[in-house]
Amino acid sequence: MPGDAILVLEKVCRSFGGLMAVNYASLSVRKGELRALIGPNGAGKTTLLNLITGIHTATAGRILFKGEDITRLSPDRISHRGISRTLQITSLFSGLTVYENIWAAAQSRKRFFNPLARPEAWKDVREKTEKMLELTGLADKAGTVCSELSYGDQRILEMGIALSTGPELLLLDEPTAGLSTQESMALVKRMRAMLRGQTIVLVEHDMGVVMELSDRLTVLHYGEVLAEGTPAEIMANDEVRKVYLGK
Amino acid sequence: MLLDNRKGAAFPLAFGLLAAVLAAVPFFADLFYQTFLTEILVWALFAISFDLIFGYVGLLSFGQALFFGLGGYAVAIPILKLGLGTGSGLLLSVAVPAAFAAFVGFFSVRLTGIHFVIITIIFALIGSTVGETWFSLTGGADGLVFMAPPLDLGVAKLDMMDIRTTYYLVLAIVALSYLFLRRMVRSPLGKVFIAIRENEERARLIGYDVRRYKLLAFVIAGGLSGLAGGLYTLSLKYASATFLHWSVSGHAVVYTIVGGAGTLVGPMLGAGLIMSLEHYLVKLLQATDLVVGAVLVSTLLLAPMGIVGFLRGKRK
Repeated sequence: MPGDAILVLEKVCRSFGGLMAVNYASLSVRKGELRALIGPNGAGKTTLLNLITGIHTATAGRILFKGEDITRLSPDRISHRGISRTLQITSLFSGLTVYENIWAAAQSRKRFFNPLARPEAWKDVREKTEKMLELTGLADKAGTVCSELSYGDQRILEMGIALSTGPELLLLDEPTAGLSTQESMALVKRMRAMLRGQTIVLVEHDMGVVMELSDRLTVLHYGEVLAEGTPAEIMANDEVRKVYLGK
Repeated sequence: MLLDNRKGAAFPLAFGLLAAVLAAVPFFADLFYQTFLTEILVWALFAISFDLIFGYVGLLSFGQALFFGLGGYAVAIPILKLGLGTGSGLLLSVAVPAAFAAFVGFFSVRLTGIHFVIITIIFALIGSTVGETWFSLTGGADGLVFMAPPLDLGVAKLDMMDIRTTYYLVLAIVALSYLFLRRMVRSPLGKVFIAIRENEERARLIGYDVRRYKLLAFVIAGGLSGLAGGLYTLSLKYASATFLHWSVSGHAVVYTIVGGAGTLVGPMLGAGLIMSLEHYLVKLLQATDLVVGAVLVSTLLLAPMGIVGFLRGKRK
């Protein structure tokens, strides 16, 4: 594999009971690349993200991040190694304000949480939080409790939280799920601005979004890697068309 | 305020005023009411220690009675059997329960939801069973009665058999504990606790070792529950295995839910309100528990966030 690979999966497997959700999947993501993971429902896309972030542990195979084995690390450890993610079903600190949501992520890189300190004393965290508010375009809603945000804003906020940990690799699980076409378009526009230069693995059903954003695609089918290539190559691949695009 | 840390003079003013009123109480209230207020303050401390673990981290612990009871014995046993002073007893009433909380928490914080609730009840049941059967050490349900030696503060010796002095000591310790907790829940550490309460999975995904922080909160809450038990025992000059019973935790649960979980002020208010209610109603009818139950049910129906939560919601 090329030396600039930041994430490498080597023959990763995960079974639930008798079901092989991920079956000897190997792939490699380069630094700076936006890789889309596509495949029919149940192809193992979300499971793969869960394995990378430690929510589930692979039953076989290895996951290497920046050359180090992270296969068996817990989610919080993996976060500290530099991987962050959003979830398919929006996952926020729902009773807190937008500001507090981002703050919680922005302060997460600190080593010691002084129980007697005022958080305001952390200028760097405050600056990081405010910068992210600008980047997400949510600055004017900073004081809004996030359960009161529109669904589209919640999706953006979750990305803002994920980004506030300063990840080297960002995993996005269906960011446009449940959004109208219009909201989807707005989100994609916002993503382009927010995620510039970021290494990303994107799981997405909307092929328009996939084709517009991704550098390379990996197609999963029954937990196996069926094909990999540029969007054009994938579109031209007969096998992919058969199982996935249904043509 | 973006971080919900209200600045300004409102808090110091309100706190100072309340402290002044409470400090003045012995000058116009008789010994009965001084004792009664001491008791309210002790239970208010017990309630806020529970509020830390429940209202800020989101863990419903029925095990706080174990730490409360242990705190009581950590005062009584050293004084009675080892000849130690009141000061060492009070320090032990934080340290011993905190150590037990570390042990109990180590197993409990692995569990979530109802499983967590049940394991804390089980630990408290074990504690009260041991307490009731180990008669030679604990005096069982009859308990231990002792004379509290004076508390030597260096500059002054406090007579712990004096009701007024005890009241002032309890008032000072409860006020300091409250200020400590208030500062903590607003600190960076408090932000971690609240994040875990709001969404454990998200907290883990942004890098917080959720179990470790739950354990930390559990130990701090256990230490403070122990301190409440220590002060209770010190004011009564009495410790009993009945303090260890898990149902004693129910007091803190009720005060916290009625007053407003996750507010600190609420549980203290809840303790004051319900204990006063019980005190005045007991003259009218025997079944005060019925009234407390009715208050609890109406709070849950009308103001599920508790009294303080309800008032804050209105102000917004």
